[in-house]
Amino acid sequence: MSTMLNPRSIGAAFLLAAAAALALHGQPDLEQKWGFMTPEYGARLAYREVYIDPAELLGLINNDNIELVIYDVRDERDWNMFHLVDAERIALQDLPGQRERLRTLSELGVVVIVSNDEILASEAWKRIMALAKPNAYILEGGLNHWLNIYGVMDDEAAGHDKASLVAPDGTLRHPFKLALGARHAAARPDEHRVRQREYTAKVRLLKKVAKAGGCN
Amino acid sequence: MAPFDIVATLGVAGSYLVYLGIGCCFGFILESSGFGDSRKLAAQFYFRELRVLKVMFTAIVVAMLLVFWATALGWLDYDDINVNETFLWPGIVGGLIMGVGFILGGYCPGTSLVSAATLKIDGMFFLLGLFVGVFAFGESLGYINEFWNSSHMGRFILPELFGIETGVVVILVVCLAIAMFLGFGWIQRLIYGRGDPE
Repeated sequence: MSTMLNPRSIGAAFLLAAAAALALHGQPDLEQKWGFMTPEYGARLAYREVYIDPAELLGLINNDNIELVIYDVRDERDWNMFHLVDAERIALQDLPGQRERLRTLSELGVVVIVSNDEILASEAWKRIMALAKPNAYILEGGLNHWLNIYGVMDDEAAGHDKASLVAPDGTLRHPFKLALGARHAAARPDEHRVRQREYTAKVRLLKKVAKAGGCN
Repeated sequence: MAPFDIVATLGVAGSYLVYLGIGCCFGFILESSGFGDSRKLAAQFYFRELRVLKVMFTAIVVAMLLVFWATALGWLDYDDINVNETFLWPGIVGGLIMGVGFILGGYCPGTSLVSAATLKIDGMFFLLGLFVGVFAFGESLGYINEFWNSSHMGRFILPELFGIETGVVVILVVCLAIAMFLGFGWIQRLIYGRGDPE
């Protein structure tokens, strides 16, 4: 009896009980983890600090000094219809597989998540932040907004004008004639030919880019 | 949610004070546990005294439970804690070299610092050897660079190795620690006819 009640035995029993309770409780999944992070990061979504204008994304695409990762979280059908050059299609449930890559992004790394509107991309942003807290942003208005700005009428069904961005429902609102993927003109518009837009820059790099010119 | 960016919160000078405080606490615990004495450390390898195993494994188990309970309760983001990346074969070879050095010299790098801090001559010489070894390694790295960077597995932890839940791994590690305490104690009594003093 005295052996059972000595401090070492009590300590060992306590550690075992704590470990068993931990196993029963489990570790937080991405959704629970986002719940823990909401007080700190939820405001960035609520105040739209991470929604970037299409013109800012275009600037990022053409900036060779940064390490840009574009995640397209739409389904395969919409991806085949249209997607940005250099975008990577990934389903929400496959995002955990990107953890190591996101963790090891350089200080010049920027992640932009796109979907047809903002619904799916915002969900993906939460998961990505819960996974690795990268420097991540969401395309404002989604690809429907992008195509309203950079889309070419000839690519779309006759008589189609700009898509309504009101009451987003996750659908692609641009009826393309053909599923050309990244071969549409809007998949990588020429920054110097498109109409310049005024926007508020929101992307903050974790390291200043040393701009060099000439032969440097 | 921890871990906190103490450099951003307290500034560089403030963060150094925190590091100093943690270092002092760590050193105090090591010294007061007897880790500044090479005879006590080496005795572990002959089962004469099991304090190294008991103190270190207890610390590991308690820290592990605190880390994963804090993560489970949302107080800590485990993914933000630095975990040394795994380089399997260099790690195995390095571990063997360090183990041999530990038996021969009676110290590991940390405990030799503790020993030197209490002005023990053997600790100071071990520390001197440590610096010579660090220098020699740095100078010869070019010859072994390929091996040194081989079998890289990234941030690789036990739940990934075994493909089981973190909580189950935690139970297994706690059971392993208790089994080692009991098993090594049994060997100690078998060889020397006594256990560690209470």
